[in-house]
Amino acid sequence: MIEVRSLAKSFAVPARSSGSAGLRSLWSRAGASAAASKAPRRIHAVVDVNFDAPDGCITGLLGPNGAGKTTTLRMLAALIAPDAGTMRVDGIDVVARPGDVLARMGVLSDARGLYPRLTARENIVYYGALHGMARDAAEARAEELARMFEMMPLLDRRAAGFSQGERMKTALCRALVHDPANIVLDEPTNGLDVLATRALRESLRWLRTPAGGSKCIVFSTHIMQEVERLCDGVVVVAHGRTVATGTVDELLAKTDERDFEEAFVKLAFAADRAGAEAAA
Amino acid sequence: MRRSLVAAGIVLGKELRDALRDRRTLLTVLVSAVLMGPLVLFAISGLIGSLESRAEQREVYLSGLMRAPTLRNYLERQTYVAREAPSDFEAQLRRSTFHDPVVVIPEDFEAALVRGDVPVVEIVSDSANQRSEASTARIERLLGGFSRERALLSLALRGVSAQILEPMQVEDRDLASTQTRATRITGMLPYFVMMAVLYGALNAALDTTAGERERGSLEPLLMNPTERWALVAGKWGAVACVSVLIAVLSCFSFLPGQWVLRSDTLQAMFQYGPREAALFILLLLPLAAALAAVLMAVAIRSRTFKEAQASSTLVVLAISLLPLVNVFDLGGEAPWHLWAPALAQNMLMTRVLKGEALELSQVLIPLGVCAVLTAFGVWYVARQLHQAAVK
Repeated sequence: MIEVRSLAKSFAVPARSSGSAGLRSLWSRAGASAAASKAPRRIHAVVDVNFDAPDGCITGLLGPNGAGKTTTLRMLAALIAPDAGTMRVDGIDVVARPGDVLARMGVLSDARGLYPRLTARENIVYYGALHGMARDAAEARAEELARMFEMMPLLDRRAAGFSQGERMKTALCRALVHDPANIVLDEPTNGLDVLATRALRESLRWLRTPAGGSKCIVFSTHIMQEVERLCDGVVVVAHGRTVATGTVDELLAKTDERDFEEAFVKLAFAADRAGAEAAA
Repeated sequence: MRRSLVAAGIVLGKELRDALRDRRTLLTVLVSAVLMGPLVLFAISGLIGSLESRAEQREVYLSGLMRAPTLRNYLERQTYVAREAPSDFEAQLRRSTFHDPVVVIPEDFEAALVRGDVPVVEIVSDSANQRSEASTARIERLLGGFSRERALLSLALRGVSAQILEPMQVEDRDLASTQTRATRITGMLPYFVMMAVLYGALNAALDTTAGERERGSLEPLLMNPTERWALVAGKWGAVACVSVLIAVLSCFSFLPGQWVLRSDTLQAMFQYGPREAALFILLLLPLAAALAAVLMAVAIRSRTFKEAQASSTLVVLAISLLPLVNVFDLGGEAPWHLWAPALAQNMLMTRVLKGEALELSQVLIPLGVCAVLTAFGVWYVARQLHQAAVK
């Protein structure tokens, strides 16, 4: 169970003066004061994100590029501290007890680099060991996951020559090695072919069933099809805010659309359109 | 705490395995750092060997040998063989194809000697031609001996005691032991060992920090419930281990390196056995630890391996240049040398080679400096880790 409330995060971007002004500021006091007057710009990556992801459900975090999905997931993984808001995983506060949260969560982040000189098995078992698993248990789990994602032949090959899809599968196994109750996936189908995407979808569907452990799965994407086919609940994020939540059918009804893509465009870009109309 | 230590051990094991599988890099470091020392030793011994054999040949080259029968007689009485120099000896000396200084005899040498005039004899050598330069002092001594003999004979004929010419006697007494003298030649040995430590640490340090960022594996690594300091401690331990491994190989490579020494004198003077090798390694351990931490601290700020290589140049340069203060003996040993990493280790290793005892304070100061550098480096990397992962 993952709960996110009023999450906000902004980053300072150092102000860049033009080349000549920069040179001038090196030499003159006037230049220096001019540079000082330019306050660093702040980018508000996440302004107000709210969602609940219950156990046994796949929750889709849907939003255009730059909507703040990756920043939200990074905050959830305790990689960056939020400016405001709360995040709880199985009732545990992420900021207060990040270690306990990470132990209950498997995260496939935007960056999914492997160690090229280690085999797929070694890559997976390494993370298992860091989660405190015994070596035998981690090995057994690596094989179980490899069977699930149909990557048994890859297991003892070094990661150096892997294709993008093979790298993704290994990274996914690595994130799930400790059998976490909560799974957070940032655009997991990037680089996967149709068959691999289908296999991943099937695996995620199984993981949310009681037999698969009734996992709480949060899935960020910008691909409508995936959301339609997979997600039990959808959270639409745009400009760092949650703009709509509900099932696919609820969102279609809300926007009075039959095509989910149209519904998404209406929801995600409504503020932009209103602004443009007001300006006109 | 115990869990964090276990995690640090896991990271250490993984990083070591990763580093040791990077065969190409390891091989390059081994060839450049470990083989280089013995090779240079071999080259130096070759040079000294040839100087020794030249001295043993007892030959003197004169231009205009026929014009100086008296000098030739003197040289032959000193069991030297006087030979006529080739006509183009100047050109040959410049080209370094001729390796002996040449004594140039003027036209009227004998007549001037008889008349009591002072004929001018030139010793021609080329300071860029090191072998010819090395024999110049020997020739000067020989010619000095000839002059003294002539003077003594003249005085004896006039019934004057020879002691008037030498109111005092000068004798040399060299305080240096055989080993101390040898360090003039083997002084660069610690330098090579230190370069092995540096280059051993360099690649591993860059790979575990900037390399990890470049591969995009740092972010997922930080999503494990492991304390930051445990991750950094494991990485640092692995880098230091690789560095020490290269250092051990380098230190022990000089042991068989001695067998190829061509010069008997050098072989006799070069006191480097397993005891010295072990002392070298003990002195280098803190340096390896500090270098690992400092290089990691420099590299963690870089997004790519290449960028990290550029930023670490300063550290590499400092570690390469500092020991040269010792090698070139700039101003002799000073107390501050013990406070400068690399320079201190170089100084202490030179002492080991000289066969001198190490004082406790001399070992403790560099150890303390390295401990502070290590602690700072590890702390800085741990502090920067999260920021580095998401930038």
